[in-house]
Amino acid sequence: MKNGILIALVLLVAGALAAQTKISGMVTDTKGEPIPGANILLLNTYDGTTSGADGKFDFLTSEEVIQVLVVKFIGYKEYRQSLDLTASKLTVHAVLKEEINQLEAVTITAGAFAASDESRRTIFRALDIATTAGATADIAGALNTLPGTQKVGESGRLFVRGGDGNEVRTFIDGMLVLDAYGPAAPNTPSRGRFLPFMFKGTSFSTGGYSAEYGQALSSALVLDSKDEEQSSRTDFGLLSVGADVAHTQAWKNASWAGKIGYTNIRPYFGLINQEVDWEKAPVSIEGSSAYRQRVGKSGMFKVYGNFNHSNFSLHHHDIDDPDVTTLIDINNNFRYLNGSYKTSLNEKWSLRSGLSYTLTQNDVQQDDVRVKEYDEGIHSKVVFDGSLSDKVEIRTGAEVINRDYHAAVDTSSFVPGFHEVIPAAFVEADLYASNKFVTRVGGRVEYNNLLNQLSVDPRISLAYKTGKTGQVSFAYGKFRQSPKNEWLRWDNQLAAEKSDHYILNYQLIENRRTFRVEGYYKTYSHLVKFENGNPFVLNNEGSGYARGVELFYRDNKTIRNADYWISYSFLDTERDYLNTPYAVTPSFASAHNFSVVYKHFVAKLKTQFGATYSFTSGRPYNNPNEDKFNNGRTKSYQDLSVNISYLPKPHLIVYFSCTNLLGRDNIFGFEYSTTQNNEGFYNSRAIRQPAPRFVFLGVFITLSKDKSINQLPSL
Amino acid sequence: MKTINIIPLALLVLALLAFKSAANDRYIESMQKNMQLVYTAKTIDELQMAVNAFERIGEAEKNKWEPFYYASFGYVMMATREKEAQKKDAYLDLSLKALEKAKAINPGESEITTMEGFVHMMRVTVDPATRGQQYSGLAMQTFGKAIAMNPENPRALSLMAQMQYGTAQFFGASTAEACGTLNKALEKFETFKSDNPLAPTWGKPMAEGMRAQCK
Repeated sequence: MKNGILIALVLLVAGALAAQTKISGMVTDTKGEPIPGANILLLNTYDGTTSGADGKFDFLTSEEVIQVLVVKFIGYKEYRQSLDLTASKLTVHAVLKEEINQLEAVTITAGAFAASDESRRTIFRALDIATTAGATADIAGALNTLPGTQKVGESGRLFVRGGDGNEVRTFIDGMLVLDAYGPAAPNTPSRGRFLPFMFKGTSFSTGGYSAEYGQALSSALVLDSKDEEQSSRTDFGLLSVGADVAHTQAWKNASWAGKIGYTNIRPYFGLINQEVDWEKAPVSIEGSSAYRQRVGKSGMFKVYGNFNHSNFSLHHHDIDDPDVTTLIDINNNFRYLNGSYKTSLNEKWSLRSGLSYTLTQNDVQQDDVRVKEYDEGIHSKVVFDGSLSDKVEIRTGAEVINRDYHAAVDTSSFVPGFHEVIPAAFVEADLYASNKFVTRVGGRVEYNNLLNQLSVDPRISLAYKTGKTGQVSFAYGKFRQSPKNEWLRWDNQLAAEKSDHYILNYQLIENRRTFRVEGYYKTYSHLVKFENGNPFVLNNEGSGYARGVELFYRDNKTIRNADYWISYSFLDTERDYLNTPYAVTPSFASAHNFSVVYKHFVAKLKTQFGATYSFTSGRPYNNPNEDKFNNGRTKSYQDLSVNISYLPKPHLIVYFSCTNLLGRDNIFGFEYSTTQNNEGFYNSRAIRQPAPRFVFLGVFITLSKDKSINQLPSL
Repeated sequence: MKTINIIPLALLVLALLAFKSAANDRYIESMQKNMQLVYTAKTIDELQMAVNAFERIGEAEKNKWEPFYYASFGYVMMATREKEAQKKDAYLDLSLKALEKAKAINPGESEITTMEGFVHMMRVTVDPATRGQQYSGLAMQTFGKAIAMNPENPRALSLMAQMQYGTAQFFGASTAEACGTLNKALEKFETFKSDNPLAPTWGKPMAEGMRAQCK
């Protein structure tokens, strides 16, 4: 009997051996290139293997009948094939198709500088904004070190590619901000109203941007606010020009943060002599509050509010007789509220919606004349994002921009103003031919109630990956923006100003080094113009062009613990608009802009040192003593700024910064008297920096359970 | 010849019993074989083979967290051996993806949360200057969570000790807190016991290597 059992066992083992199947084969991509490291498996069994360096594989299986063979590799679509395992040998050639993957796929980079903490392929980070010397934690200041911008020192605003300062529009979480800069005295720089640390991502586009953004002629600055905070903390800041306190409370799926700041520049101006003759130097009080709530698995609800009150007054000296002065007193109130909700609807579609409210009240008293300006805007928007397949992504939405503006002068009963309602809709599709090539086609339809007119603006961009790290992009688009308040209030029938952008870009990102070159051509039409030089009779007959080449290089690899970038922009532009008798280079445009930003962290000293050097070639100004209009040229602008952040303890930062370290007397332009003097000559006065340097010292303390948290990201 | 009749019957019963435990034995055996592989692998290719094996097992065993956990561990090890920043990040992305699957099966497991913190910690090494602030905070928070889930977990304690040590050293502060955590970790490595034959065992040499710094 023993023999019987033995025989049965032998038969069983032999049977099992006979039933084994050897599966061998090869894994390649569609071009026949072998794919090593691919996972090959029989579904719902443990059997399988990994492809070798030559893409080949083989394994044995004891499974019988029909099984499904699966081949997987990252970046490719899963391959499946049914196998009949009754055979003892099988050969499989698995051809894997590339999967269009957002991380791998080409992105449209023409005109765009994206900064984000989350995406790692960006060439500019949110933190960079805060730590750039000379920017004094101002978003516009930091972006001014990027190509495509022209430095206009007396304004503080962003000027992009021959465009005026108001041609750059700011969006927070997709919602328009009507007045993104704080008030400033004439010919002194204003600061952005929003602090960089609020945002996790910044996308600065110098042209050719998405059809989602309308009412922007030259540039869209798109800021994405942070999601909910993970831990509670309290921050104190003691600054040489004021103080602030902030508190963040975090719960499981929500957080609230509030900040109150007081800025008083009077003591500082008492110490350092200023160009401006202040009666009352600027004082402002500002508060902001943000609430974030996660809703369900993918929903995010955000509310952000901000108020600011500032006040200052100064003596304006007459050019001909400096002893004759005019007192100007400015009171400014600003409120901003932004609510947004984002969620995914199903696997393919997601929704973004938002509502923003901006109110600016500006009260200016100039001698006996008082002007009260009122600007109120409501923007509502809904956007759907859909992935129809891995090759087609669609974005479509609708919005209404509602603006109410008037400016009352107490000497006149006529109140110029307007009530503008712009409903708009857009649709845009990203069509991927492969991971290497994408086309974005879209358009934007707008209706304007003042003109009772419908308009359509097409946008198109292409991007092609030339290799593993390089890519070429092209963008074209039509853009429009309603004329500035100061013109539209006089003539409600003025049409929108228009521009066409053509951009060609090449970008190479290689292991923490970035090189980028971009060329563009831009035309302007329907610019507001004074009829026969009369500023009260306006038309849309202005026009212009801008063209240029820009270079950018960033490297945080070559020098250990150091990071630097170099930007150069060349601009050639002329426009015939407003009071110009013919096409001239406008006074805000400079042909050459160059900047170098350097940051070095010294671990031993626990200190980061930063320096920024900027050069801007001379800008035109109009000298009425000359026949030719805008024929004067200022000397070049140069500035070397430094900053130092010292972290003696995890929760303590000491920050020091100084602009224009060398104290160069930069001249931005000249103002001329409106009347000739006895010799038939117009007297002039240079527009200078308010002071040669701005020195800032701050101490920042953070209290939290987790002692390693500090305010570095907000500096 | 009664015995002859009993033998096939007994064999059948045994076979049935064996079948049930054999499936589990096979799972444990396959896992242990590959765990050995992932613990000893020297190159990225070897690690990829182990990771692939874990993913195969994970596909077949839909309600077991360990295969995805070890796949995630394998990807972290691949990231430590990779030099190129972008690829490093790609491995860490894959690690998190595998970890999510493990988490969905066993959300309360302290080892899974520890691995999540480990991934954040590795993110810092890709670009310390710009990522240090964000990810080291995140890593410490996550290790804190893992310790709260299981105060006996030596891996969570030892990684936490490393982060604390790094922070203290950076700021020139006392490393007492970090060394306290390390001693606790070393203690727990000795006493750590799990009913699970597939429980992770890695991390002890790393903690012992740190002991010298705390003397």
